[in-house]
Amino acid sequence: METEENNQNVNHVMASSGATGSISVLLHPLVVMNISEHWTRVRAQEGKAQQVIGALIGKQKGRSLEIMNSFELVFTVIENVVIDRDYYNTKEEQFKQVFSDMDFLGWYTTGDSPNESDIHVHKQICEINESPVILKLNPFTRNADLPVTMYESVIDLVNGEATMLFVELTYTLATEEAERIGVDHVARMASGDSAESSQVAEQLQAQHNAVKMLANRVRLILEYIRAMERGEVPKSHEVLREAKSLTHRLPVLNSEIFQEEYYTQYNDVLLQTYLASITKACHDLHQFVTKFNILCDRQGIMGRRMRGLFF
Amino acid sequence: MSSQSNIALNNWLMANNVENISSVDEIYRYDRKQQQDMLAAKPWDKDPHFFKEIRISALALLKMVTHARSGGHLEVMGLLLGKVDANTMVVMDAFALPVEGTETRVNRLENAIGWYHSHPGYGCWLSGIDVSTQMLNQNFQEPFVAIVVDPVRTISAGKVCLGAFRTYPKVEDFGVHCKQYYALEVSYFKSALDRRLLDSLWNKYWVSTLSSSSLTTNADYTTGQVSDLSEKLEQAENSLGRAALVGSGVGVSGSSIEDRRSEDRLAKAARDATKTSIEALHGLLAQVIKDRLFNQVRSRPA
Repeated sequence: METEENNQNVNHVMASSGATGSISVLLHPLVVMNISEHWTRVRAQEGKAQQVIGALIGKQKGRSLEIMNSFELVFTVIENVVIDRDYYNTKEEQFKQVFSDMDFLGWYTTGDSPNESDIHVHKQICEINESPVILKLNPFTRNADLPVTMYESVIDLVNGEATMLFVELTYTLATEEAERIGVDHVARMASGDSAESSQVAEQLQAQHNAVKMLANRVRLILEYIRAMERGEVPKSHEVLREAKSLTHRLPVLNSEIFQEEYYTQYNDVLLQTYLASITKACHDLHQFVTKFNILCDRQGIMGRRMRGLFF
Repeated sequence: MSSQSNIALNNWLMANNVENISSVDEIYRYDRKQQQDMLAAKPWDKDPHFFKEIRISALALLKMVTHARSGGHLEVMGLLLGKVDANTMVVMDAFALPVEGTETRVNRLENAIGWYHSHPGYGCWLSGIDVSTQMLNQNFQEPFVAIVVDPVRTISAGKVCLGAFRTYPKVEDFGVHCKQYYALEVSYFKSALDRRLLDSLWNKYWVSTLSSSSLTTNADYTTGQVSDLSEKLEQAENSLGRAALVGSGVGVSGSSIEDRRSEDRLAKAARDATKTSIEALHGLLAQVIKDRLFNQVRSRPA
C-alpha cells in the first residue's frame, strides 16, 4: 500500500521517462558555487540544514539557455512555500542595472528529487516567466558525480486533468577560460596551504591531473570492452560503435599544414625564450661591468693620488 | 529493515553535519556580538600594520574574476562583504556595483569590508588615485581593504592574479621611494560542500584543462608584451648611453642617479622578458603534450 502511494506521488511530479527535454542548457560553475555558499551560510547561521530557494539568470537564444548567475529569494512557509514577490522585484531591478543583457530564466533549490512542494513553487514562478527551468542541488549525495539536476515543466494529461510534470534536462558546463582558472585554483589548493612551488611544477601538475583522468577513462572503456569479450557483460553495439569511432579519430590532426604551423609556433616560442635569456644575460653583464668599473676606478683614483704625493 | 538503515543513515548524516559545521564551515557563521566588539575596540587605529592576512572565500574569488573578465578591457569595480577575525580580514562575498545598495541586505548579516576593482592587463597594484581613494576609505570606513584583480594576466599565466592592499596613514613624503601601501598575505578557503562540488566539477572540467591552448588565447596579449619589452629596452639603452657619457666625463664616483635608473629599467625589462617567455613556454608544454597524446599513434600488439 505504501509503495503504491509513493509511486503515485512520484508520478504526479515526473513525466514518463520517454519524454526528453526540448532545450539545451549551458551552466556556469559560478552558479553552482553561489548555491553552495547560500546553503552553507544558511546552515552555519541557523545551525541546521535548511532548504534554500533562489533565482537563476542568464541569456536565452532560441532553444538554448546559458545560466550565468543567480541570487537568493525570500520565502515564507505558510503550509506551503510562498515566494516573496516584492523582494524578487527589487532584486531583479538591481541586477538589471549591472547585468543588463541577462534575463530571469528559472529558479533553484536544494534537495533530492523533485516533489509536490516544488510543483507549487514552480507554479508561482510561472507567473513571472512563462517556462522557467528548475535546478536542484543535492548537498548530501555521496557519489562523485555533480549532484545537480535540471528540469523543465510540461503540462500533461494525467487521469483526464492537465497537471504539471517535470522532465529532466541534460546540461553542459560552460568552460570560459577565466572561470576555469578560478575553479582550478580553488579546487587544487588544500584549505590553509600556501606552499612555494615552482611555476613549471604547478603547470605540469595541472596537466598531469588532466592526463591522469583521461587515462582512467580510457582504461575504463578498455575494461568494459574486454568484459564484453569474455561475456561477463551483455554486448552493447552502441558502446562498441562509439568506441570504434573514437579510435578512428586518432591521429587527430596529421596534415602537412598542421605540422608546418605547429613547428612555426614551436620556433616562435623558442625565439621568445632566446630573447628573454639574452636580455637577462645583458642585464647580468651590465651589473658585472658596473661593479668591475667601481673597483677599477677606485684603484685608479688611489694610484693618481699616490703619484701626486711622490712628485 | 529499510527503516533501520534509514535511521542509521540519518544518524550518520547528523553526526557529519555537526562535525562539518564545527570545523571547516565555522567561518561561515556570523557572530554579531563578536564583530560589534571588534568594531568598538578598533585595534587597527593604533597599528597601521594591524591586518597581516586576508582570507577570501572560493565564491568571492570566482565572482571577482568573472566580473572582471566580463568587463573586457574596461575596469570594473565592486564591493566586498565580510568580517574581521583577529589580525585577519575575511572576505565572504563580492558584489558588482551598483547591484547591492545599502538597503536590501536580507539574509546578509556581514558588513562591507572592502572594495575591489580590475586592472585588465597591467597588473595588481594601486595607482595614485587608488591610493588616495583607499586612504579616504580607511579614514571613514575602517576596517576596509582594497583588492585588485587582473583578468588578462590571470588567463595568460594560468594562475589567479590578485592582490589585497592596505594604505599607511599619510606621512610626510620622504622622497619618491616612500611606500604608501602594503600587501596582505592572501589565502583562500572553501566549505565542505564547495570541496565536494569542486571535485565533481573537476570530473567534467579536466577535458577543457587538457584542450585549452593558451598560446592562441593569449596571442594578442603576448604580442603586446613583446612590443612593450622592445620599447623598454630602447629606453634603457638610451639612458645607459647618457649615463656612460656623464660617467666618463666626470670620473665615476660610485653610481649616479642616472645610472641607477637606467639599471632599474634594464632589470625590469629582464624580469618582464622572463615572465612573458615562461608563460609562452607553459603554453608550448601543453601543445607538446597534446601532440604526443593525440597525434602520435602507434599500434601496439595486444
